[in-house]
Parts: sequence; structure tokens; C-alpha cells
Amino acid sequence: MSFVHGKNTVITVAAKDISQYTNTSQLTRGADKHDVTGYGKGDHVFGGGLLTGEFSCEGTYDNTASTGPRAALQPIVGTVVTCTRKPEGTGTGRPLETFLALVESYVETNPVADMVKWSAKFTVSDAIATTVQ
Amino acid sequence: MNVAAVMQAVADRLDTIADLRCFAYPEAALSPPGAVVLYPERIAFDETYQRGMDRMTLPVLLVVGKVSDRSARDQIGAYCDGAGAASVKQVVESGTYTAFDVVTVTSVDFDVVTLAGTDYLAANFTLDIVGKGTS
Repeated sequence: MSFVHGKNTVITVAAKDISQYTNTSQLTRGADKHDVTGYGKGDHVFGGGLLTGEFSCEGTYDNTASTGPRAALQPIVGTVVTCTRKPEGTGTGRPLETFLALVESYVETNPVADMVKWSAKFTVSDAIATTVQ
Repeated sequence: MNVAAVMQAVADRLDTIADLRCFAYPEAALSPPGAVVLYPERIAFDETYQRGMDRMTLPVLLVVGKVSDRSARDQIGAYCDGAGAASVKQVVESGTYTAFDVVTVTSVDFDVVTLAGTDYLAANFTLDIVGKGTS
């Protein structure tokens, strides 16, 4: 086992590889919680509920046709698309996560003294399939 | 990005400024008015995943006449202007390049450099260069 560098991460959204325009990404897995505390208890008691997931990514804007972030992401805001994430890069035996996600937002940010940046937020729809490549 | 290709591309573009002698490497025989593209201060790799983007800070040293000459002041004023035929910023940023994607002349500092025992007025330009990573 060893530490893993993030530079090899691969992200695809709606079958388009946006990895080369992305410099950070985050997949959050959570769960609903239900308070099932009964009378007579001195502490809350919780039970787990449905699983939830959120995904976000951001990076440097590139106007490459079709796979640049604007071309890849702007047209699919508000739709549910297939996303894949390879947190350790491509390679046999490395993890692969595949999930459907609603594209909630696509943001472009233009600082005066730096490159144009972009970011996108997704809400995972249904289960995240974790497999190995 | 290949350092040599980037330095050459910037020097070739600077060479379009009339009467400015340009070198794509630290040439010892620099004489004013002249510009030399120096080696990058820093190359930042892996600015995005999968070798998508690298970034380098590239200095360009431009030397004009003697510090005490009024004409040197006028010359360096034209080179350091934000616009104009001799504007380093305008000329470099308006170029089209294959060695990298985009270049921004972010700042210029002034200095005095000694060449063959004579002090010359100089401008140190800082270029921010972004391009695809090679892998």
C-alpha cells in the first residue's frame, strides 16, 4: 500500500473526458439519518437511511471543441448523465466509480490576473457502482 | 511544453519589433537595444489532471542605452508601454504560438546591467506562460 498522487485522476462526464481541464474534484458519500429515540432515553438514537452522493469538480477553462469544459458541461446542466471517476488513474486493478448524476450547476469565473476557471456541481442519482478496472 | 521551443517562440515574436536584437538564450554578446529570453524561473507541472496543463514563469531581459542618456529613457518607455508597435506586452501577447497556449506579460521591473564595463538601463519582463503538459 502506498500514498496516491491526485494528478492521475480521470473524470468523464457524459462520455467526455474532462480530466485535462480539471485540477480538483470531490465525491462525497453520505446517508440520511433518522432519529429513532424512544421515551425514557437520555441520548439520541439514530438509524441510517437512504444513501446520498454529491460530486464536484473544477479546473482551468479551455476552449477545445467538444471536450473543453464549456462544450462538455454547459449543455447538460439540468440533466442526469453518467459520470465515471478513476481516483488512482487508469490501470488494471485500480478503482472505478460509475454513477448517474444530475448536473446542478456549471460556473465560469474570470479573474483579471489569472486564467479563466470553471466549476461544476452534481447530485448523485441512484447508487454509485464501485468496481475495479 | 518544451523549454527550448517556448524560449525560441517568444524570441521570434520579440524579433518582430523593429531595431530590437533578440536572442532566445542568454547570449553573452548582447548589445543594446537588445532583448534576451532567459531560462524559466519556475515550471509548474500538473496544474490539471492527466498532464493537461503546465505553467512557467519566463523572464525576458531588455537592455537599452546608457542610464544617463535621455534617449534610453524614451526607448525603454516605448518597450514598456502597454500598447504600441514597440510594446513588449502588446507584441508578445498578440502572437500566435504552437509551443504553448497563452502568454501574459504580467510585470516589468527596472534595473541597471553592466555590459563590457558600461552600465545600461534594463527592463526585466515577467511572462506567465501556460500550455499543455507533455507526457
